[in-house]
Amino acid sequence: MSVMIERSSAWVERFLVPPLGAVASNIFLQAIRDAFIIFTLPLILAGSLFLIIANPPIKALAVLIAPYQSAILVPFQLSFGMMALFLAFGVAYSLAQYRRTEPVQPAVLAMVLFLIATMPVSDLTNLKLGDVLPYFGGNGLLVGIIIGILTTEVVRRFRGSRYIIRLPKSVPPNVTRAFEALVPAILLITLVWSIEWFVSVHTFSNADGKIQQLTLPILLMRAFQPLVLVQDSYPAALLEIVLMMLLWSVGIHGMNVVTAMALPFWLSTLTVNATARGHGIVTEPFFHIFAHLGGSGATWPLVIYMLRSRSAQLRTVGKVALGPAVFNINEPVTFGVPMALNPVMMIPFVLVPVIIVTINYIVFAVGLVHVPVVLQPFTVPVGVSGFVASGGDIRGSLLQFFDLAVSALIYYPFFKAWERILIQREEAAARPEERSERLPAEVHS
Amino acid sequence: MLRMIIVCSWGMSTSLLVDSMQSAAAQMHISLTVEALSAGEFAARVEECDVVLIAPQIRHLRKSIEKLAQSAGKPVALIEPFHYATMNGKAVLEQALHLQASTREGTV
Repeated sequence: MSVMIERSSAWVERFLVPPLGAVASNIFLQAIRDAFIIFTLPLILAGSLFLIIANPPIKALAVLIAPYQSAILVPFQLSFGMMALFLAFGVAYSLAQYRRTEPVQPAVLAMVLFLIATMPVSDLTNLKLGDVLPYFGGNGLLVGIIIGILTTEVVRRFRGSRYIIRLPKSVPPNVTRAFEALVPAILLITLVWSIEWFVSVHTFSNADGKIQQLTLPILLMRAFQPLVLVQDSYPAALLEIVLMMLLWSVGIHGMNVVTAMALPFWLSTLTVNATARGHGIVTEPFFHIFAHLGGSGATWPLVIYMLRSRSAQLRTVGKVALGPAVFNINEPVTFGVPMALNPVMMIPFVLVPVIIVTINYIVFAVGLVHVPVVLQPFTVPVGVSGFVASGGDIRGSLLQFFDLAVSALIYYPFFKAWERILIQREEAAARPEERSERLPAEVHS
Repeated sequence: MLRMIIVCSWGMSTSLLVDSMQSAAAQMHISLTVEALSAGEFAARVEECDVVLIAPQIRHLRKSIEKLAQSAGKPVALIEPFHYATMNGKAVLEQALHLQASTREGTV
């Protein structure tokens, strides 16, 4: 058994780790992910609070709040609702950090470029904010990301090149820096503005049947609309969860990697769910809140099993893992059992979330539970988070508990098999005279 | 006085480890500052530490992080996954101290 396990571990290390590692190390994906976590997540979470208050789950309360709904939505609209603007800043900033170049200048420039891309080239004093507002939020994320990357990549190439304005050495460095940024700033502003001008000559009729000027985010959203629809489907959900769990299986933060790629789609769908009462299923809470119960891989039940295990290693990990599991943090499980790079546990580690995602997709599709409408921190405990995510549907919590039971059932035989192996190793280690090559004493060396 | 940077991803689980390391450091009478940073933030602030440790969930970035740390003359190592999993702050702190000591011998 041990020999087989070592062979398959070697196979995983050789064939699975390099390609998955390459995807996860992509510098743009890393920058997008950092930008999302550091710059926009706090705004999203703070803004969500106002969104929940403005749309209370209880009917009587909703009636009471109705006259003040627009007022309560203002903080939401200017934080969560403007996240693409701040994401443009964040992506440019984070990417500059990875490129080891000064980050604030390209980040501010990226915000300006995003504003230019989002406003039609027209008399802005007559512009109705409501016409462009949606494209500052979920619908503008793609443009925000593209502009963030473009800005930093252009600015960093100009830095240290011949094509910048140079001042005499006696000029203070801050002044020099300002002039250094001038050429790429003028170039990029002119570029985005002329494209926008060309785009906004064209018009379209919006949802209310009103004629409106096109802008870059509107154009891009219309072009990507089929992709948004494709992403909100069972095959796409399956692909995403498999990729997440394969990455985690080799010890890489899978949720982060997939989030960096899929977030614009998840949030577009969620925005429609939240504001227009849409029925999109594959959103951020679909994974974080309804699949990764107790952490990526739905490992909550494993923690309970471990606490009562006869293996000293598993008992130790179980004790450490209990607290974090309440808040859906499971690195102790992933690296302690371990799940990562363990051919026995990798199987259910991928299988359990896949089955849960399948069940949940069906449940949401037939309308047994209200589709996710609210974004919340992934650390909200199971039970509470399902209720909140579905906009105050208690069946959301029930679904989470049902999924946990499924997880407990599937993990059990694999857990027992792995436990037996560990107990054998531990017993062998306790009898030093019988230490042999076949049963390595050290589990982690 | 030991200044440490742990390069990780969310910083959620690492913050648990940091707490455990701080209490281990207090017992050993070492003044310790630890910062958990993403790979990008680390690239911008590599100079501000004595030792660099890498959390196991970003071990795919190990090579680029090591290259950067070494070019800045900072000792660097991957945190033992099992110590990370069990939030064994004492063991990780000892790993860092050992790493720092062995680098010093190497350079003198």
